Amino acid sequence: MLDAQPQPLVQVQDLKMHFPIYSGIFRKHTGDVKAVDGVSFDILPGQTLGLVGESGCGKSTVGRAMLRLYEPTAGRVIIDGDDVAKLAPEPLRKKRPTMQMVFQDPQASLNPRMTLAEIVSEPLDEHTNWTRDQKLERVYELMDQVGLNRRFVNRFPHEFSGGQRQRIGIARALALKPRFIVCDEPIAALDVSIQAQVVNLLEDLQEKLGLTYLFISHDLSMVRHLAQRVAVMYLGRIAELSPSKDLYARPLHPYAEALLSAVNEPDPELAARRNRIILKGDVPSPANPPKGCNFCTRCPKVMDICRTVKPDLLEVEPGRLVACHLYTAAGSTGASEANERNQQGETR
Amino acid sequence: MLTFTLRRLLLAIPTLLVISLVIFLLVDLAPGSPMSEIPLTVPPETRQKMIEALGADQPVFVRYFLWLRQFFWVEPAYVIDHWFGTSWAEGEQRILSWQSRSPVFTIIGQRLPQTMIVIGTAYLVGILIALPIGIYSAYRQYSLFDQGGTLFAMIGFSVPTFFSGTLFIIIFAVWLGWFPTKYDTTLNVTDWDSFLKQIRQMALPVMTLGLANAATISRYMRSSMLDNMTQDYVRTARAKGMTERIVVLKHVLRNSLIPVVTVIALGIPSIFGGAIITENLFGVNGIGAALIGAIHASDLPMVQTLAFIFAVLIVLFNLIADILYGFLDPRIRYD
Amino acid sequence: MKMRAALLGAVAVMGLAPAAFAERGTDGEVKLTFPQAVSIMNPYLTGGTKDIYASSMVLEPLVGLDPQGVMVPKLVTEIPTKENGGISEDMTSITWKLIPDLKWSDGTPVTADDAVFTWQYCTHPEGGCSQATKFEGIASVEAVDPQTIKVTFNGPKANPYTAFVSALSPVLQKKQFEACLGAAAPTCTDANNMPIGTGPFKVTGFTVNDTVSMAMNENYRDPAKPAFASAVIKGGGDAEGSARAVMETGEFDYAWNTQIPPDTQASMLAAGKGQFVVAFGTLVERIEMNMTDPSAELPEGERATAKHPHPILSDIKVRTALSMAIDRSVLVEVGYGAGGKPTCNVIPAPDDWASDNTACLTQDMEGAKKLLDEAGWTDSDGDGIRDKDGKKLHLLYQSTVNPIRQDFQALVKDWWTELGVEVELKAIDPGVFFGGDPGSPDTFQKFYADVEMYANNSDSPDPEVYLGQYQCKNAPSPETQWQGENINRFCNPDYDKLYAELGGVTDVAKRQEIAKKLNDMVTKDSMVVVPLVHRGTLSAHSNSLGGVQINAWDSEMWNVADWFRVK
Repeated sequence: MLDAQPQPLVQVQDLKMHFPIYSGIFRKHTGDVKAVDGVSFDILPGQTLGLVGESGCGKSTVGRAMLRLYEPTAGRVIIDGDDVAKLAPEPLRKKRPTMQMVFQDPQASLNPRMTLAEIVSEPLDEHTNWTRDQKLERVYELMDQVGLNRRFVNRFPHEFSGGQRQRIGIARALALKPRFIVCDEPIAALDVSIQAQVVNLLEDLQEKLGLTYLFISHDLSMVRHLAQRVAVMYLGRIAELSPSKDLYARPLHPYAEALLSAVNEPDPELAARRNRIILKGDVPSPANPPKGCNFCTRCPKVMDICRTVKPDLLEVEPGRLVACHLYTAAGSTGASEANERNQQGETR
Repeated sequence: MLTFTLRRLLLAIPTLLVISLVIFLLVDLAPGSPMSEIPLTVPPETRQKMIEALGADQPVFVRYFLWLRQFFWVEPAYVIDHWFGTSWAEGEQRILSWQSRSPVFTIIGQRLPQTMIVIGTAYLVGILIALPIGIYSAYRQYSLFDQGGTLFAMIGFSVPTFFSGTLFIIIFAVWLGWFPTKYDTTLNVTDWDSFLKQIRQMALPVMTLGLANAATISRYMRSSMLDNMTQDYVRTARAKGMTERIVVLKHVLRNSLIPVVTVIALGIPSIFGGAIITENLFGVNGIGAALIGAIHASDLPMVQTLAFIFAVLIVLFNLIADILYGFLDPRIRYD
Repeated sequence: MKMRAALLGAVAVMGLAPAAFAERGTDGEVKLTFPQAVSIMNPYLTGGTKDIYASSMVLEPLVGLDPQGVMVPKLVTEIPTKENGGISEDMTSITWKLIPDLKWSDGTPVTADDAVFTWQYCTHPEGGCSQATKFEGIASVEAVDPQTIKVTFNGPKANPYTAFVSALSPVLQKKQFEACLGAAAPTCTDANNMPIGTGPFKVTGFTVNDTVSMAMNENYRDPAKPAFASAVIKGGGDAEGSARAVMETGEFDYAWNTQIPPDTQASMLAAGKGQFVVAFGTLVERIEMNMTDPSAELPEGERATAKHPHPILSDIKVRTALSMAIDRSVLVEVGYGAGGKPTCNVIPAPDDWASDNTACLTQDMEGAKKLLDEAGWTDSDGDGIRDKDGKKLHLLYQSTVNPIRQDFQALVKDWWTELGVEVELKAIDPGVFFGGDPGSPDTFQKFYADVEMYANNSDSPDPEVYLGQYQCKNAPSPETQWQGENINRFCNPDYDKLYAELGGVTDVAKRQEIAKKLNDMVTKDSMVVVPLVHRGTLSAHSNSLGGVQINAWDSEMWNVADWFRVK
């Protein structure tokens, strides 16, 4: 990266999240579910990184581990200068206001026994010493920001519609004026008609408040719309990390290619020309991933090396990182192709 | 909520009437005779006379309607007379126990305080022990503490009170001599000394029952906590940067308590019902001991009245549990 | 055997212990515990021993019975006899003289009217008096003067000492119970729970089926008694708990009816806090043989009636063989320890009334087998079970649900199986078995089994009434709604004749002779009743309680006025 580039707000380095498996009468530790197995990326302030992948690939786990809602097994998560993964409980709690999360299920993520006001102002109780009036004022302000009628302030979550609930979830996340928000599939549980509203709201807020997002989603078109850069995850690892435009125009990693081939193409002509790649087989268990490349069991372009050596995530074109032997193995056609494109990238 | 309550109460009336008839018939059909405790030296003619004097030779429906009248008219009238000095129940026959010839409600009145104090305390102690165990076991699932709590609950579940009670007697009364084995009903708590005495004589039955109660409730508490611990809103609370204490006590615990409170409320009729075995073992003259004594002696009026009161209490506390649920969980609405 | 000797020794020591020297009310409180709680303090409305014993501390009869079954005056100056003119020459009346200046615990004088009233109370047709037999054959009870009670019988009465004798028939205060005659009897809750009496104590508090609190009676006739200022009877729990409260924790001074297994008795005795005392009355655990056929194939109404004699047990050889196969001392050892002894008699006590029948005490398995062979019951098909004319020697043996009885059933079954008898066991809830419900097939009177086991006793030392059970006319049958005490349907005209004779004999020695004969007729001569164990009442008292003289003929608290604290 060049010096001229702004300092990233979020830096994730080799993040690993392994869940232990206990079995037998004595609950012996017999293995790990490697939900996240060495993930690295940066996010620049005010930008959005999209994190896509099929369900079970570990993308939500990345979000939760980053905010220390899980205890990461290894790696560093530097958010605004502090390594969140290593903070002691009390400093971590103090750190929480800068990093927030919007959850997938707005119903489940709101305490059913608390009113909107209580939910939104609870973090204020903890992290400020404001008076009641100040806090109420802030709650109203947030409600205005997310587009909730002030009359609803004393209602319980179950009295709202799904879209409204997600607005509460967003208001709650915004209460402490965070800099970084993990949006964990914030629209997956919503009706399609509502999805756009919520996405637009998130965009507006980003613009107004200068927020930085990690946008986790399996909805590739929504990510394309929102994110400057997109990371494609497969089985706990990042397969490709590229600027949004490049990725959608020309995915490099065979998995990204397959994934994107499934996206609806608005242009009927393009859609007709495009051939969808249907992957065969199932995703291997994260408790027992393949020895080589995680994708080798299903990859249409699989090579011998893929079955033995795990490819590293390397920059094969400016700004484009891919973990695939096609682009790195010396002498392969893939490598030359990559170079070619690299040059193209430079000239642009 | 009010209409819901009223509707449920109205529905309860026919239900209870049917229950009362079923109980009456069941109790009546049960084998045994009020004369079974009378020594064989009393000749059959005398036995027949005694049965006639009890009114036990009347047909079952005559006795049922007499009981209904006594339960719903004479006894309330008697209470009103007692309070306001009226004379509605003058000359009316109250429900009399066959065994002791005393009015059943007088016996219940004598016994209820002991049952409430001893069994109620045991219930309370059980809850007070169970909640922290359940909460901490769930919070540290599979920890040593949790394993210990599970063991405790298993013991409480599986060891019957007649065994644990006898064990406690042998340990604490026979070997250590700390507590008496027989509950002294005539003890009046007037000062510090008699209060201590009361505590000492309550210790064994309360321990015995408390263990059993704590076992059940701690399991409910634990599983309810576990259910809630993994909920998204708990993650939300953590993400908000709330302290662990607030996350557990405010978010997890409060939501976990909803089903537990219901279980506790539904268990309250059993306090009134007393604890048959424990009361008998320690000589606590509560309702449970009265019931078992009455069953042994085929004292139909006593058994019938007690069983019916339990039925009323169970119906009532089911309703209370439902209403309580509505109060505790804003998602529930009775309209 | 050693322990029993020790216990008997203890009884003797306590009997000889010096009576209380103390003044009235100086020994604090005496605490008693009963495994069954006291329900009511009026013995006329209950048959329960617990209630009768508790009430005996308050209510007194004219005369009581001592541990030997001998009458001791309580409220009267002397025992009326023919010699002192208290009993009329023709035996049709008895006259009692009250002690002068006798007072109820409320301070009012005791008069002959109270006794007259008591008679009226118990003989009222609607009163349901449980002690009505005590007043049977009485034509009238009159107050000749305030001190003199004259009881007139319908005819000559051989045993005139029934009414107002022993704790079963105490004198009630007329003033208190006047409004409680007949149908009103059960409604007098206060009077029934807190009767006013002449005994050493008066009731101060009564909680049904729990506790009776008593204080000394200031008006008790002996100014030096009772030594205890107050008494309390706590009921409930079980025999073991009661025994433990006296023998191990020392919370109580006296526990009535602590019938517990012999090994538990020994371990409790080892605690050194108290001792067991045992009183032998006439309670006999026995096997009754059914003389009628209980086969379910017979039509209802004929089943188990005299119409069909029992196909197996009608043969005296079979009955004798069954008795011979039993080792009674093993039964005692297993079930009762110090609380029982083997017996062959229905009337095992008092000694003067008991037959010298001891032939059954030694088990004779070979003799029993020979008898069965003689009777024609042989194992012809070699399956271990005897048979005759194609019919197996199969017996249904029923009893009540009770751990000791189940042990006995198992032991007896073993012996009988060795004999070649196929035994089927059945245990019935005691409430049903003794309940007497004519609709139930499981009552002991209906006897839908071949043999059954339970215990029975005479409630007075003179067994006349008790022996009356075995008359032909007392057999339960459909005609009597299955009531009746002749459970075996034993019917022997000679027995009935001899029994009728007993009613006319007044000479005690002669009565005893007849009673022994009657006893032998149902036991060794016919083997219809097979006595097993002479059961005593086992009670426990702490070492600090003196004056206890356990009594099988009257209340165990008969001399509670003499109890004192050992210092």
